[in-house]
Amino acid sequence: MTGQQLGVAAPVRREKRGFAPFGMSPGVIALALVLLALIVPPTIFLIQTSVHETNADGSFGALTFRYFTGLFDNPRLLDNLANNIVYALGSAAVAIAIGTTLAWIVERTNTPMRRWVFLLSIVSLGIPSVLYTVSFLLLLGKAGPINDLLRMAFGAGGPTIDVYSLWGMIAVEGIDFSPLAFLLLSSVFRSNDASFEEASLMSGAGLWKTFKNITLRLATPGILALLILVLIRAFESFEIPALVGRPGRVYVLTTDIYDSIQTQVPPNYGEAGAFSIVLLVIVVAMLMLYNRISRRAERFQTITGKGFRPRVMDLGKWRFATAGALVLLFAILIGLPIAIVLYASFLPYYDGVHLATLPQFTLDNYRHVWAGASFRGSIGNTIILGVMTASIVGPFTALCAWLAVRRVRGGALLDQLATMPLVFPAIVMGVAFLHLFLHLPFPFYGTLASVILASSVRFLPYGMRYSYAGVLQIHKELEEASAMSGARQTTTFLRVVLPLVAPAIVTCWLFVFLVSVKAVAMAILLVGPGSQVVAVTLFDLWDNGQVTELSAMGVSWTALMTTVSVAFYLIARRYGLQVR
Amino acid sequence: MTSFEWMRAWAPSVARAVAGAGFAVLFGLSQANALTVDEIANYKGPDRQKVLEGGARKEGKVTIYSGMIVDQALRPMTEAFHKKYPFIDAEFWRGASPQIVQKALAESRAGKMQADVLESTSLAPPLVRAGLAQHFHSPESDSYPKELVDPKGNWASTRLSYFGAAINTNLVKKDEAPKTWNDLLDPKWKGKIAWRVGGGDTGAELFVTNLRLLWGDAKAEDYIKKLAKQDVVGYTSSARQLVNQVMAGEYAIALNIFLHHPLISARKGAPVAPDPMEPIPALNGTVLMAKKAPHPYAAMLLIDFMLSKEGQKTFLAGDYFPANPAIEPSPELRGVVPSVIGMKEQFISPDQVNDLNKKSEEWIKKYFR
Repeated sequence: MTGQQLGVAAPVRREKRGFAPFGMSPGVIALALVLLALIVPPTIFLIQTSVHETNADGSFGALTFRYFTGLFDNPRLLDNLANNIVYALGSAAVAIAIGTTLAWIVERTNTPMRRWVFLLSIVSLGIPSVLYTVSFLLLLGKAGPINDLLRMAFGAGGPTIDVYSLWGMIAVEGIDFSPLAFLLLSSVFRSNDASFEEASLMSGAGLWKTFKNITLRLATPGILALLILVLIRAFESFEIPALVGRPGRVYVLTTDIYDSIQTQVPPNYGEAGAFSIVLLVIVVAMLMLYNRISRRAERFQTITGKGFRPRVMDLGKWRFATAGALVLLFAILIGLPIAIVLYASFLPYYDGVHLATLPQFTLDNYRHVWAGASFRGSIGNTIILGVMTASIVGPFTALCAWLAVRRVRGGALLDQLATMPLVFPAIVMGVAFLHLFLHLPFPFYGTLASVILASSVRFLPYGMRYSYAGVLQIHKELEEASAMSGARQTTTFLRVVLPLVAPAIVTCWLFVFLVSVKAVAMAILLVGPGSQVVAVTLFDLWDNGQVTELSAMGVSWTALMTTVSVAFYLIARRYGLQVR
Repeated sequence: MTSFEWMRAWAPSVARAVAGAGFAVLFGLSQANALTVDEIANYKGPDRQKVLEGGARKEGKVTIYSGMIVDQALRPMTEAFHKKYPFIDAEFWRGASPQIVQKALAESRAGKMQADVLESTSLAPPLVRAGLAQHFHSPESDSYPKELVDPKGNWASTRLSYFGAAINTNLVKKDEAPKTWNDLLDPKWKGKIAWRVGGGDTGAELFVTNLRLLWGDAKAEDYIKKLAKQDVVGYTSSARQLVNQVMAGEYAIALNIFLHHPLISARKGAPVAPDPMEPIPALNGTVLMAKKAPHPYAAMLLIDFMLSKEGQKTFLAGDYFPANPAIEPSPELRGVVPSVIGMKEQFISPDQVNDLNKKSEEWIKKYFR
């Protein structure tokens, strides 16, 4: 009886090798060492910072556990924790709901106009974070157009929206995360073999049942991966709780931590460090749970030896309803924020949306942005930063994900290591790298290369989850066939796995490119006079409250990012990579 | 990589290192009579300008970390400096004060100081405490009022800021505008006042410190307890952004913002106005020299320039109030200068801010959470 007759998959053939400590191949060890070299120094810094006082000159002082005890001594701990949990789950629900709906409509149906969603989610990712958040605050604020409309409809005493509330926080964070959710789920849905859904439809199950029982179930690892990302993000995010929650007296765990960093000079990261370590333990636990769920990977594999072509489902009349849903979602995710930012960019000052301001429209803000050297000078650096970060993270995580999914010895370790950077608040990671780079024996501090390196480490977890979900869909039998035909592991990876995983990597590349050029908190500390990037220039404007100029720069930058993304998409399509 | 390729890749770096070492030895030998940083910073001889220029020629570069607006102030200032001394390349890095401190401290501890000159508000106390400030003397600051120059020589003032309230002119009619601190306690303003919290020390904390200096702690605490009943909203962002919110009608009154911001916006037609109350708190932005500055001669020239009439003029375009008494603030901004509008000013020195803000912050946490 062969293994196959028993229904057990044959193991991938391993070459004989002499050197295999812990049973791990040299390749895996090399990858693990690289990851350790990148992650251990910030982690050590994080631990040190959480158990030492900070002296006046910024060095570490006496040993103390007060930051850990302080986390639990806080009288508002339970309140903050409750708020945080609602915030995290709420925004996850919003993001995943929107993302799944969009991904399904775009990838699995024949809805008209669906191809635009891709472009528009790129556009929304190109909008700088602070501007995105501020645009929603402008839209939904007391003096904003939505409340104006409500007042017109229901009179001055009628209901109004208060965006400075827990609901506001959930809405803004959820919507902020939706493009990310869409991109990840779309690459998962895209590779679904339509035959499963067709079989379901032919057996008489309606569209909804098919969606619920087949499409969603197959996408479970992708959805779980998203859940991890968005939950951790919600727990360690500083900005939205500060901008949206605090004015409404909604406090979460990070509110006090943010204060402790901002109000002392030199800033004290003890509390932030202690909090991150607690989060780290939780993330490790979550990942182990995730691995257990996706262990039965065969259940999710849809790219098999059978020829497959992802076919879309014909919705018939319903496709106009879904097109309507698309338009509504476009409006919320991108249309309204861009509209209000565009509007603000033409004003000499912003004081709400009134028709009366139309005659004041001016191009001054754009003139300042393009005439001043700050913006133009940082564009080149920023593009290099994005391209290099994405090019490092994409292939690297693809390889690690493959090793992890195939459960090669040490693969799970790679997965855990690559996901660890998720728990570091960007500020703490920035400081950790600042110290690391300063202590290197060669000039590295302040260079663009240093920012690229830090950025790559920061976005490894996102790349990892993308690639993992992508690799999960490929059935082992394709690689087994390759191995049995005599190919070595490297050949199998390069010629079988990589082409199949390519759509996921390409989407991953684009995504990492867009988020890495947006990231501010680390770049602020690491850039030097010659390595300025746009995100920091934008942040400087925000810091100085130059909202109208910020809007003009934001619009210019978004237009630029959109052009880059469209160019990228066209090039990818030219080479046969189905980015769609 | 083969060993040949490896050598080719590393050869330039090795060659540079050897050359650098060689030059260092020669340079060291040539500096037998060189001045120490201390001496350069405090040089008072009649040939001071010549000595500084001579040393700066050899250095060729200077780096400043500052909090000023880039396109309107920081860049024009460094360009004007470069025009005056074409043999010095002036590089700048812009950041908020906490980041400037952080970077400078980290560089110093690693022995790789890159910044020569540091300039911003709230910079002096942490840098002096950390032992990073090189005391210096610039003849340009001799004409400044005494409180604007550190007696120990660790810092000198580059710019001033005045603080007060801003009101939305649609929501607050002229005759209703609060004129005294007690006017703020009027119940009609409940829930309509905002101030900045959570970072920087020019918002709520400064408001409280100003009152503590005016009335003493006991009366000030009493007042703060009453103000807490007004449900003052805590806003986390820059002062300018808070004024924008007032302009948009989100809040009727904002406390302790930079007075010139609403003035500038009002000139453009925005429905906002400054609402100063006596005493008007005034803070200074300061310039310091880093102790292990890599280019001390050029650093002193830059400091001289920033304190001189020529340099101070470049700050006007950034809507800053130059500290040099010989420079008039720009005509658009005169409306908030205390001496011009006839209101009392309360200058709060960097050390006072540093010593007093902590307790003010505790009160805010206690009463306004």
